[in-house]
Amino acid sequence: RAHSNPFSDHQLEYPVSPQDMDWSKLYPHYKDAETGQMTKKVTIADIGCGFGGLMIDLSPAFPETLILGMEIRVQVTNYVEDRIIALRNNTLSRHGFQNINVLRGNAMKFLPNFFEKGQLSKMFFCFPDPHFKQRKHKARIITNTLLSEYASVLKEGGIVYTITDVKDLHEWMVKHLEEHPLFERLSTEWENSDKCVKIMRNATEEGKKVERKKGDKFVACFRRLPTPTIL
Amino acid sequence: MTLIHPLQNTLTSRDGSLVFAIVKNSILSFKYQSSNQWEFVGKWTDDFDKAQDIKKNVTKEQQRQISENDTKNKKLKSNKGDSIIKTEAKIPAPGIGAPPIYSYIRNLQLTPDESKLIACADSDKSVLIFTVDRASKTNVLKLSKRFSFPKRPNAISIAEDAATVIVADKFGDVYSIDMNSSPEDKFTQEPILGHVSMLTDVCMVKDSEDHQLIITSDRDEHIRISYYPQCYIVDKWLFGHKHFVSSICCDKDHVLLSAGGDNEIFAWDWKTGENLSTFDYSDLIKPYLNDQHLAPSRFQNEENDIIEFCVSKIAKINNLPFVAFFVEATKCIIILEISGKEKGKLSLKQIIDLPYNIISLSAQNDEFQITLDNQKSPQVQSSFAKFIQYNSNDDKFVINDEKSNLFDEVITKSLQEDSNLNAEEDDIYPLYNIASLRKHGEHYS
Repeated sequence: RAHSNPFSDHQLEYPVSPQDMDWSKLYPHYKDAETGQMTKKVTIADIGCGFGGLMIDLSPAFPETLILGMEIRVQVTNYVEDRIIALRNNTLSRHGFQNINVLRGNAMKFLPNFFEKGQLSKMFFCFPDPHFKQRKHKARIITNTLLSEYASVLKEGGIVYTITDVKDLHEWMVKHLEEHPLFERLSTEWENSDKCVKIMRNATEEGKKVERKKGDKFVACFRRLPTPTIL
Repeated sequence: MTLIHPLQNTLTSRDGSLVFAIVKNSILSFKYQSSNQWEFVGKWTDDFDKAQDIKKNVTKEQQRQISENDTKNKKLKSNKGDSIIKTEAKIPAPGIGAPPIYSYIRNLQLTPDESKLIACADSDKSVLIFTVDRASKTNVLKLSKRFSFPKRPNAISIAEDAATVIVADKFGDVYSIDMNSSPEDKFTQEPILGHVSMLTDVCMVKDSEDHQLIITSDRDEHIRISYYPQCYIVDKWLFGHKHFVSSICCDKDHVLLSAGGDNEIFAWDWKTGENLSTFDYSDLIKPYLNDQHLAPSRFQNEENDIIEFCVSKIAKINNLPFVAFFVEATKCIIILEISGKEKGKLSLKQIIDLPYNIISLSAQNDEFQITLDNQKSPQVQSSFAKFIQYNSNDDKFVINDEKSNLFDEVITKSLQEDSNLNAEEDDIYPLYNIASLRKHGEHYS
């Protein structure tokens, strides 16, 4: 299935709160054998990770960082799971790809169940579903109301990365992020010097598809501003 | 048998002298004097014509299509090749077997100075602002404004300035409207915050540093606290519910109570985010459960013994440490005491049995007001509502029978002849709609 309705009642598994999440199943390598506690927390999230290409390229670039992909489509999630297991098995000796994993979830509804306030340093939104129809715009992954939730799980100074081949969607995402009081757009110079932008442009399966079709890729990155004084 | 439609909700003014009641798409006003006298003082009926609204939209869409075709230079042609000239747009009418459309009124709320009453109308998904004229003998309520929304408003709250209404809708968005502004023709407002889930309740609170916050609850177990007016700043979530949250209410000292599809009532300190206590009511309610609490057939097992129940409403009386709630389609209200010594600790105070299923619960001063599904009452219809009062002498809640019976009388007297407010069994509005909020995860992918 190419699409999944983010508003329906899916059979989903999610923790009651971030404290209830057992991350050791996803990242067994980072579980302290003595205390049973995780030695690291997830700080990079790829929302709608698709086939996982971005994570797989981010993994060696951020070897000490836990990266999570969230994907709502069951089959796609299963595929990424298998892919990561295979990658881990192929690199057992050097513990490769232990820092990435995927889970099936609806980030628009349950992101706060997984992440504490300010836990994330980077969030990726790569080639999200464009939802062209006007009346479907609330189903878009970037809306002014959802941005407040993303801002809440991002730490101050954290980065939101967006990339799409749909100009209209790009303009929509830029507009909403620019209007949001907790985000500020980063310059083209910044984009060109950032290694994640480079990976994002080239790594994802969607990105490669656009490349083959010689389509445009629109990138926009935003910094999470410090929370202002409460009035 | 024709009978007077059960009351769907009530709201009492602070001094107890005015009681508003919802029946179908009407709001009735009653005056109550301490000498146990009731007086019927007005009825307001939502006569919004939905067909007109649809007609407007259909015509607009037709105009749009015509102009679009014009710009594309497309001519509509029939099968024979003659050009078609569009006549007036047809208004779609529901076919046979279509679900009936109910034009509910919901969410009664008085402004702090009680000069205005706020309600929501399903007919055009609007928030209604009434002025309250206490002196009037025939027409206490006068509709002053009608703000219509793109999605159905489901809960309202009033900000501290007493002029801003916070509206939470079924699509998950929250809007703020200034009661003093005039409604605009075209809806252009942006939500001030939103969930990707149906909102079930909203509450405005204030912390010790004088900051205002909005607490919103939804069908996805979430209770979210955001600052106001900086609603883009999420303060926190209160995690603990495993099923939908249907109702929240606030107490002093940052205590919040919440309930819904879980077996427990939750008490929170919304300032610290701590879950102060939970009160499991499942054993208490067991004797009151009936066939209405069997799970819907498509979620039922072969033994047909899956039972599902949920709290419809939780309400706190001011000034006294008591909170009451009821489980949908049961004949009792359960009153809990909130401990003063151990902050937020809940204990059973009292269970009050009633002759019929409870439909609504509200609270004012030392009194809980409930309305009952009295369709099955004998010849003379009674038990529309009960007023349950706290008696400090023996520290117990008791039904004020005299007041309740006289209220039944004034209702029977004033509404019996009103055919709009009478109903056959089939015309009764759905009175039990909270249980359907339960999620069963039916969609796999």
